[in-house]
Amino acid sequence: MAHPFQMGLQDATSPIMEELLHFHDHTLMIVFLISSLVLYIISTMLTTKLTHTNTMDAQEVETVWTILPAMILILIALPSLRILYMMDEINNPSLTVKTMGHQWYWSYEYTDYEDLNFDSYMTPTQELKPGELRLLEVDNRVVLPMEMTIRMLISSEDVLHSWAVPSLGLKTDAIPGRLNQTTLMAMRPGLYYGQCSEICGSNHSFMPIVLELVPLSYFEKWSASML
Amino acid sequence: MFFRAAWSLVLRKTGPGIRGMHSPGTHGEGKMPPYTSYHAQRTYPMPDEPFCTELNAEQRALKEKEKGSWTQLSHAEKVALYRLQFHETFAEMNRRSNEWKTVMGCVFFFFGLTALLIWWQRVYVFPEKPITLTDEWKAQQLQRILDMKGNPVQGLASRWDYEKKEWKK
Repeated sequence: MAHPFQMGLQDATSPIMEELLHFHDHTLMIVFLISSLVLYIISTMLTTKLTHTNTMDAQEVETVWTILPAMILILIALPSLRILYMMDEINNPSLTVKTMGHQWYWSYEYTDYEDLNFDSYMTPTQELKPGELRLLEVDNRVVLPMEMTIRMLISSEDVLHSWAVPSLGLKTDAIPGRLNQTTLMAMRPGLYYGQCSEICGSNHSFMPIVLELVPLSYFEKWSASML
Repeated sequence: MFFRAAWSLVLRKTGPGIRGMHSPGTHGEGKMPPYTSYHAQRTYPMPDEPFCTELNAEQRALKEKEKGSWTQLSHAEKVALYRLQFHETFAEMNRRSNEWKTVMGCVFFFFGLTALLIWWQRVYVFPEKPITLTDEWKAQQLQRILDMKGNPVQGLASRWDYEKKEWKK
């Protein structure tokens, strides 16, 4: 989860998120270069003693500042598209979990083998145990097996929501009447937090998502106990 | 003396279009006449129209003399001709001003005003802080995040030394 005064993205838990982290570094570097160039040009323009303002013909510089941005954009677009297509690769998930967004909680269904359903409400601040994270903890976490490809099917029962877990690089809209699919693959065990990412009413900020990634044997024990 | 005599050529207010100078050395401007085609600025310093369009007899004589060889002109005459053609010299046009003091003063004033408003808001408007912002809770929270190894690659847990139970140096 995020920690106080964090400046960058959370550490990657899935391979796609690692790719996204590197792409973000690459693009941010380009953005910083352009911004500092612009800042420098602005400062020189404000402090110059030169006063000639009637230059009309500047073919060379016009060519340069047309071609160079085009090249920079291509340099950004190619990795971006690569990751986009990587997200859509065939990956043969071993498990399917369905999540429905409601106002204002998430419900999860594990129906591959048995029929397991539960709701996941945010823990109110007064009921937090010491050391728990305010506005992020839930009563029933989504337990999933780690290092296995999981298909998530996301929809909504009422209004638009969005199921997001930043450290896995996931954000998929929950649209009523539509089924959206995303794949999840966590390399590390642990707790991964996310929050609803589409405005859905008064408690939009108070319906978090908590994934608990555990080894397969623990997952099997948990799902048996939840039935 | 000659300089002052030549200067007096310029000091006449003989009609619209002429702006009188107070005296050499002061950098104030007189009242701007309403309609004039003279307009100079830092990026367009030498307009085609002269500054003084209506000239009295001495000034007209000077302009006639200007048509001859310029080596015949004295320094004071050259200055007078310049003042006829242009409103201000480059040095006068590009002079600094004290505007920055006003601007900074207003900026600091608004900083102070905002600080007062924010202080009042903190005292009279904001509700109680939640329990999770106490130092004890924050310490327990940090311990929990370290226990679950949150962000162990480059983030928080990566900076904790789990063997020595302290922050990495």
